[in-house]
Amino acid sequence: MLRFVGRRLWNGGLTLAALVTLTFFVMRLAPGGPFSRNRKISPEVQANIEAAFHLDEPLWMQFGRFVWGVLRLDLGPSTRHRDYSVNDLIASGLPYSLTIGFWAVVVAALVGVALGVAGALRRNGVTDYAAGIIGVTGIAIPIFVIGPVAQVVFGLKLEWLPIGGWDGTWRSLVLPVLVLALPNIAYISRLTRTSMIETLRENYIRTARAKGIGGRRVLWRHTLTGALLPVIAYLGPATAAIITGSILIETVFAVPGIGRHFVDAALNRDYPLVMGITLLYGGLLILFNIATDVVRAILDPRIRHER
Amino acid sequence: MMEFRTGLRGLLAGVAMALACAAGPALAETGVLDRGIGSEWSSLDPQVNFDAAAGLILMDAYEGLVVYGPGGGVLPGAAESWTASEDGKTYTFTLREELKWSNGDPIKAQEFVDSVFRTLDPATVSEKGYYFYSVVKIKGAEAIANGEAKDASGLGVAAPDDRTVVIEMETPAPHILNIMGAFQIPPLHGPSYAANGAAGFVDPAKLVSNGAYVITEVVPQSHVLLEKNPNYWDAANVKIEKVKYHVTEDVSTEFKRFQAGEIDVTYDIPVNQLEELKTTMPDSLFISPSTETTYYSFNLTRPELQDVNVRTALSWAIDRELLQDKIVKGGAIPSYSYAGGFDPDYKGPMMPGAEMAQDDREAKAKELMAAAGFGPDNPLKLTIVTTVAEDRVRLAQGVALMWKQVLGVEATVEPQERKAWLDTFYAGTWDVFADNLVGDFAGAETFLAYMRPSAEPGYNWVKPEYDAQMDVAATMPDKASRDAELAKAEKILLDDVIFAPIAIEPSRILVSPKVKGWVPSAAGYYNSQYLTLEP
Repeated sequence: MLRFVGRRLWNGGLTLAALVTLTFFVMRLAPGGPFSRNRKISPEVQANIEAAFHLDEPLWMQFGRFVWGVLRLDLGPSTRHRDYSVNDLIASGLPYSLTIGFWAVVVAALVGVALGVAGALRRNGVTDYAAGIIGVTGIAIPIFVIGPVAQVVFGLKLEWLPIGGWDGTWRSLVLPVLVLALPNIAYISRLTRTSMIETLRENYIRTARAKGIGGRRVLWRHTLTGALLPVIAYLGPATAAIITGSILIETVFAVPGIGRHFVDAALNRDYPLVMGITLLYGGLLILFNIATDVVRAILDPRIRHER
Repeated sequence: MMEFRTGLRGLLAGVAMALACAAGPALAETGVLDRGIGSEWSSLDPQVNFDAAAGLILMDAYEGLVVYGPGGGVLPGAAESWTASEDGKTYTFTLREELKWSNGDPIKAQEFVDSVFRTLDPATVSEKGYYFYSVVKIKGAEAIANGEAKDASGLGVAAPDDRTVVIEMETPAPHILNIMGAFQIPPLHGPSYAANGAAGFVDPAKLVSNGAYVITEVVPQSHVLLEKNPNYWDAANVKIEKVKYHVTEDVSTEFKRFQAGEIDVTYDIPVNQLEELKTTMPDSLFISPSTETTYYSFNLTRPELQDVNVRTALSWAIDRELLQDKIVKGGAIPSYSYAGGFDPDYKGPMMPGAEMAQDDREAKAKELMAAAGFGPDNPLKLTIVTTVAEDRVRLAQGVALMWKQVLGVEATVEPQERKAWLDTFYAGTWDVFADNLVGDFAGAETFLAYMRPSAEPGYNWVKPEYDAQMDVAATMPDKASRDAELAKAEKILLDDVIFAPIAIEPSRILVSPKVKGWVPSAAGYYNSQYLTLEP
């Protein structure tokens, strides 16, 4: 098992290094720079600004500087948010993204699995159809439609919840969490349902029933463990995507997380911030994938004995 | 971290409530003004920030030598009075007596000198130094910005005593008062800067300021909270206790937050709802000209565009009123000049042909185009490079359509992301550039100075007469005669038709009916200290 994890970590590290290197150089291909302005400032001042951020150095040297910074866990200063370093910005935004992401994953997993199981057990019943409708709606209607509609209904018409911002209470969490969870509820319930139906037909379930094990125990212990494998495989990368902040959710609900930096930093050519976010997101994605593999390996012996 | 913030906020709310209860009948005058600042502020460092959104926060927190009152007019700020020398090159400001920083320290004249020096000092990496060596030419300023001078000894800003700031310029500049506000010259509190450096500007525990408000909470990407500064000289007339600036990236969300009462003053509005808002919220909607002008520049290195008649035809074929009323619909004001329209005292010229009706202009344009050898068999082909913003693209498409219909010109619109668009300009890879410029103040000079071929070579406009006329204007110490000379320069500029004037961009703001005292300001100066809140 340890070798399994070690191998995954090594591969993950290589992937991350490749990702970061590629991003660094591709970013520089885009025209414009962090200090492009439509008012020409004197060449001396412009040169001085660029020198302060080492933009005057050859690209390989800047890359070396970045790598050296990463090794010291220092991602450098942001060129757009002059008051903060990239470390500061991540430290300030990540807790918000994590909070919303964590609850969205919890809600999506619980509701999604429940709907999926209910649908599989009462196939073609009312619950199944209801779950199906929620599934299709959640997948088909994008967040930038559901979000504003939810704001109008719950914020403006019913006045139950704030439209956006972060007031420090649970109330500002509700809408972003639910809207973020919705498409995931949809995927998870569909995945669970299909997988449940398949698993219920497996021989080992029939064997368990034949051995006289109670229906409830077969369901919880045998069927669900097997049926959840694809759900877990989905949840790993999905969790990484959800907790590192959804750009749309954070934009629509004015959440001060880090998701918004994804687009803003690239548009403003804030190279250090782009690199910091890429590193964080890439790292988390790889880690969650490894974690998923480990969990699956624990649940399913076939996986850990591969190769 | 979040628990801490929540805790702090709870504590603050508790304190505020306790204060409110203690204040008793004065309750009506207190409260929180919630203001939108769009997507994000870039910096709260008063000498570094160059961003309008952060400027709103900084102008509440700091005060310059002058302050811009309701509508943006110049009022005495930290300086109670000032005098100009006969030649208009020296301004002497006298500070108010007993001026205090938010922590109670006395404000010294030298702290304004330190501010200018820090802005110019290359180590600060500020883009604002050009206010002092370009917008007005303060002695010695450029040498500091270029790194030639290492200290303030040669700088034409001096504090002979604690209450006097003397500014010496190389050329007279009656517009100097337009750059003596908190955005350009906020004083620098020496002890806290020495102790904390720039990090102190975002740390409410260490921050010392001199404006009507002090910053008491900063959460990046979320909000900045300010509270009334009891040590401000005019604190008795500051009615609103707290001002909270909210970041809301999405303009539709900001609008909904306004509707729900979470935000009292927005930063912008969703442009596509402008027409509807005019009827549904007429009392809240403020549409007024800003100091941003849009014009379509012609690339003078393109052989086809070197003919002034072709450029004139292109300019005349644009129906500016129709463009704004029916196509863009963003509240912009159609424009036939470049630098006029911001300052009622400035009587500038109009573009050639402005006196004609649009139909006549179009008829003449067709003739000019035919005379230049372009026709149905030989159409002029152009590319308009614009930014990707929705209304900008619509504008470019509208212009292209008019050129097609009136002149048979085949224009394609190439939207580019903002940073790429800026680079394209200097690379010269454009035929027509959808240009815009935000003036440094609501006056003609800021626009005309920018167009000097010596100042902006990107237009490839060779015109020594224009530079010479601007040099003449720059020697005029009084505003009236200076404006007259500037108007002559603008005529040279407009007669050459190196661009087609399009419009003056508006500022579009929703203000809740409970906020009183809101007066539109072209330069975008809206200090909270002049506003009141009704319960």
